[in-house]
Amino acid sequence: MAWRALAAFAALATLPALPGLPTYYLLLAFDALLFGAIAMSLDLLMGYTGLVSFGHAAFYGLGAYATAILLERGVLSVWACLGAALVVVGLYAAIVSYFATARRGIYFALLTLIFAEVVYTFFRYTQTFGGSDGIQGLPDALLWRGVAIDTPRRKYYLVLVYLAAAYAICRVVVTSHFGRVLVAIRENEDRARFLGYNVQRYKMAACMISALLTGTAGAIYPIRSAFATPDLMLWTESGEFIISVMIGGLGTLVGPILGGAFFTILRDKASSFVDWYFIVIGGVLVLIVLFMPAGLLGVRRLVGFRQWRHGA
Amino acid sequence: MLRITDVHAGYGATPILFGVSLEVPSGEAVALLGRNGMGKTTLMKTAMGFLKPWRGAIEFDGHDLTRLTPHEIARLGIGLVPESRRIFPGLTVRENLELGLSAVANRSAALRRRRFEEVFHHFPRLSERLEQPGKTLSGGEQQMLAIARVMMAGARLILMDEPTQGLAPAFIRLIRDMVTELKRLGVAVLLVEQNARVALAVCDRGYIMEKGAIVFAASATELRESPVTREKLGV
Repeated sequence: MAWRALAAFAALATLPALPGLPTYYLLLAFDALLFGAIAMSLDLLMGYTGLVSFGHAAFYGLGAYATAILLERGVLSVWACLGAALVVVGLYAAIVSYFATARRGIYFALLTLIFAEVVYTFFRYTQTFGGSDGIQGLPDALLWRGVAIDTPRRKYYLVLVYLAAAYAICRVVVTSHFGRVLVAIRENEDRARFLGYNVQRYKMAACMISALLTGTAGAIYPIRSAFATPDLMLWTESGEFIISVMIGGLGTLVGPILGGAFFTILRDKASSFVDWYFIVIGGVLVLIVLFMPAGLLGVRRLVGFRQWRHGA
Repeated sequence: MLRITDVHAGYGATPILFGVSLEVPSGEAVALLGRNGMGKTTLMKTAMGFLKPWRGAIEFDGHDLTRLTPHEIARLGIGLVPESRRIFPGLTVRENLELGLSAVANRSAALRRRRFEEVFHHFPRLSERLEQPGKTLSGGEQQMLAIARVMMAGARLILMDEPTQGLAPAFIRLIRDMVTELKRLGVAVLLVEQNARVALAVCDRGYIMEKGAIVFAASATELRESPVTREKLGV
């Protein structure tokens, strides 16, 4: 397992060295990997814990705004941006996950959605942060003094390192005992309860890990795009994360990375040909659901998947 | 050890239990008999904290269970073997057992080894199936696993809900022997059964439940002889 992951990352690391690769594609690869990393983080909740969050866009957007606000005010260090994002997203996620995990099933989805919409509305209508325009025209961030992340290649490597770290964290989580308890909760939370597990605490912990990883991805986004807008927090964004997880394959980690990348590239390609590209995407999704219900990666390896689907 | 006093409980506005009182003394096996729909499983759920009683008291070794959540009750040493063998189907046998153990506080490597040895001693069949997913086990094996899981946690009282339901005679014998063995180990058992013959063969005392209330309580010997048993349970 580990050597395959290393080989995959090594292959991705050689991508910028491809002769004649246009910058455009390198930046598309950035977006694809970032989206994949977010879908993977969401998979911790959806695939392993059995919680569907409709509010991940808020974690993503808050992370993006943390970076944007700092860059705008001349704080250029990547580390400061990431640190600020972790603090802000962590505080917000602690509140959301506390209330959302107090409820089961559909209520978890609704509560995460409602909290996210509140955050969206706040940034959408707060002029200090640019209102609906968001924060535009950000300077390049610095890795350390004198080393700016100013070329597409450096930006690409930033996201690649982040993806590798996030993947390692997720892999450790799901193979640990903690991960087994999450699966037990997904399979049947009452059973986990009567064995003596404080289910809410485990769910909260899973939410926090997922939210912090997503927030970090958000913090990286403006470093490439040079802007942050409230649209990053819109519920449709959360919906796209969920779709990416489903496309890739629940509970596989690698599947959602592929799913997120696939979705990003599909959206990019479709939108460069036609205006009504969402119809194209919708059509492809219908085909995937019909003919590959287990996702790109298949879910045969997913523990207890059938039980989860039928017993939910 | 476990004392349930005048418990009223139900779902929503629908009452199910009408003042149930019952006692499981330390190290004894007690049968709770009754036909389907009489409130036996509801009583289990209430004792385990999944359902808050409307009135009445539930005490375990001096702890008031009505104020605790299910995971806190489990940690006090009450293990539930739920109806129809509720194991984690997607996790392997080993993972199911680990989950039973790891909720326990102060576990050590030595304790872990000892518990695994105990379980393998009683259920050698499980040791052959350690890496198999729970769902690939037969019904009887899943029942063993459900019991082994609460043994891993070191439960001092085990609530078993219809453990023999749908099992082959050989497994029913095994479950019966297991209850006897648990008693020998000093573990108290509350055995909810429709199969009165099996339950009364291994239990010390028994209660018969009807329409949410205890209608008869006696020693197992008395219950075996009594015409009430035949009338209420049809055996």
